[in-house]
Amino acid sequence: MTTNDTETTVEYAPEPTPRLDWARHAPDVFKAMLRLDTAAQQGLDAKLRELVKIRASQINHCAFCLDMHTKDALAAGESVERIVQLSAWDESPHFYTEKELAALELTEAVTVLTDGFVPDEVYERAARHFEETELVRLIAAITVINAWNRFGVTCRRTPGHYQPGQHS
Amino acid sequence: MTTRSQVLDRTVAQAMSGLSATAKKGLGDPALAELVMIRASQLNHCAFCLGMHLSLARKHGVSELQLDLLSAWEEAEDVFDERERAALALTEAVTVLTDGFVPDEVYERAARHFDDVRLAHLIGLVVAINNWNRVMVSRRIPPGGYTP
Repeated sequence: MTTNDTETTVEYAPEPTPRLDWARHAPDVFKAMLRLDTAAQQGLDAKLRELVKIRASQINHCAFCLDMHTKDALAAGESVERIVQLSAWDESPHFYTEKELAALELTEAVTVLTDGFVPDEVYERAARHFEETELVRLIAAITVINAWNRFGVTCRRTPGHYQPGQHS
Repeated sequence: MTTRSQVLDRTVAQAMSGLSATAKKGLGDPALAELVMIRASQLNHCAFCLGMHLSLARKHGVSELQLDLLSAWEEAEDVFDERERAALALTEAVTVLTDGFVPDEVYERAARHFDDVRLAHLIGLVVAINNWNRVMVSRRIPPGGYTP
């Protein structure tokens, strides 16, 4: 990628090559993922959904998903400040509602299962802000972005080419 | 331990089952599929999924020795063949993304043993069991509720 300013031309490192076009090699799996994605989007606030997707993608280091969901969040009217502060939300609670904070904490616990379970206090905090059906939808949404993160990272899908709303 | 929630949208559950079934079918190796799903469930500490897939593994003829040694497969060279070891290494990398990416050597090792179509389905299977692990651990679904 090359960027011009008035004085110099900055030469960035070359773009990596994707490893595998998994959707082409496993169209049945891709179709099943799209069906799951649609099912898990139901009944959750769009802004909250994007915050959750961005935070999970940060934790899982999925560049492709970060590109997509920061652009989608901005297009949905999210502020730059809230996106920038997201990876340090614990230190910037005044940027978010109590409900969003509970959802972000749950997102981290459900994403980092390998560190051990989902703590009671995290689950209970979320359960105070979301009624049971909504809470399980949130868990499903966290699960599904984790799924896309795994495909994105493993198959090395490259960021930078997404246009907001491209897949909606 | 009390179950936190029995709720799961029917459409979500059906879509998750569809993803698991299609990935498993495309991989075309039911015994290996169970090894992969058990290893991911060990890493994610999912008691329900371990109960279910240990029981399915036995049904598919996976040996007791493999099941006993699965969490130390790297140290058990005689018990798992090269193809199984490549699949297990990939399973671990794809499951533990938070520690950083999927290393080239792990990906390439898997790509030497699985063609693109099987590899895409293997990755799909690791994703699918990770989905179930998240949904079951979060809602604290107890083990033992599954019979093959």
